[in-house]
Amino acid sequence: MSTQAKDRRAKIEAAKPKGRGGANKVVVATVVAVLAIAAIVAAVIVADQGMKADLAAGGSSLPKNAPAMGAGLVVNPSAPANVPTLDLWVDFQCPACASFEGTFGDQMAGMTQDNEVRLVVHVLSFLDSNLGNDSSNRAANAAFCAADQDAFLPYHQAVFAGQPQREGEGYTDGQLTEFAGKAGLTGAALNTWQQCYEARAHNQYVESVQTQSAKDGINGTPTLKLNGKPLELQGLTPQSFAEQVKAATR
Amino acid sequence: MTTLSDQQPAATPARRLRWNPRGLDAVGLAARLLLGGVMLVAGALKVAKPEVSARAVQAYQLLPFDLATYIGYGLPILELVLGALLIAGLFTRTAAAVSGVLLVAFIVGIASAWARGLSIDCGCFGEGGTIAPSETRYLEEILRDVGLLLCAAWLVIRPRTAYSLERTLFADER
Repeated sequence: MSTQAKDRRAKIEAAKPKGRGGANKVVVATVVAVLAIAAIVAAVIVADQGMKADLAAGGSSLPKNAPAMGAGLVVNPSAPANVPTLDLWVDFQCPACASFEGTFGDQMAGMTQDNEVRLVVHVLSFLDSNLGNDSSNRAANAAFCAADQDAFLPYHQAVFAGQPQREGEGYTDGQLTEFAGKAGLTGAALNTWQQCYEARAHNQYVESVQTQSAKDGINGTPTLKLNGKPLELQGLTPQSFAEQVKAATR
Repeated sequence: MTTLSDQQPAATPARRLRWNPRGLDAVGLAARLLLGGVMLVAGALKVAKPEVSARAVQAYQLLPFDLATYIGYGLPILELVLGALLIAGLFTRTAAAVSGVLLVAFIVGIASAWARGLSIDCGCFGEGGTIAPSETRYLEEILRDVGLLLCAAWLVIRPRTAYSLERTLFADER
């Protein structure tokens, strides 16, 4: 290295501030790290508390024909043992569920009526947090209040028939009451339904079904399982649906 | 002797351009803004909906359910912090290293979901959960994360970048 170069380097070194005139890196790093960890911990705690409050809100009674917290509602418990169990997971705000209902709803209702399948419906409410409203939760509560009066399936059908064109518009309480009328509840039955709905008598059950389904890996709707085996919806026709149910009958 | 050493860089302009520290600082700046920008957007899109983020993590079915839930709650904030640090150019090497670890975890998660035949959205920018098999974008998601991982690797190896807050703040970074 030439002497000029050495001189130049020495001058550069001399001109560099030596630990003066700058912020203390350790202090800044500590502040940033503490703030970041505090923010993450706070976010986890706030979300966890919110979830726990949701799970504990409303009544804790099981709707009629719901065997346990977290379990789906058995629409036709009188079905004989040899018929397959058809599990259905829906969210009342899910457009794909409404279109599934449009194609297969009547067929499914017929199979249930004739006890060709044991229909178990798991009503989810996860779309509320996606869409930023509470309509899935309220509609689920409303449907289980209808279930107490053996009107679950007609209520379920009325909700999907009345689903708003645009996803996220949700349902008003007035609409949910209208659906009760469409499901055949009148007079005293309608009053009982109304009381049940206003008290959110089955809300903890609604939340438990959502939690259990997520634990079971169901995080999209509609999902169907025939005797516990996933039913492929792509390319499903009423004919192939009927054939699969027949094949699963013992 | 002096003439030789003075002539050498001029004789190879291409080489001088390639190793120009200012050029490298500019590459670092681009890597920082790209990685930081994506982290910031990913965090911002999920931070207001912790339940959705939790479900996106649960949908991978890789971690115990409750752990997945907590990670889903905390991840958006971590992404926001890393994004802000990278964009500002503060503790670039550490922020890039942590981002790199996250990206490796994301790539492993997506590849494993793909290999196990799940059909989920990666949930990288909100949403997440099960989608139709025809709607999965596993390859795109992995390639995007590999690109970002390269940005992170650059910044870990050479954290010095143009217009960084750490050069303004800390004397020993100048």
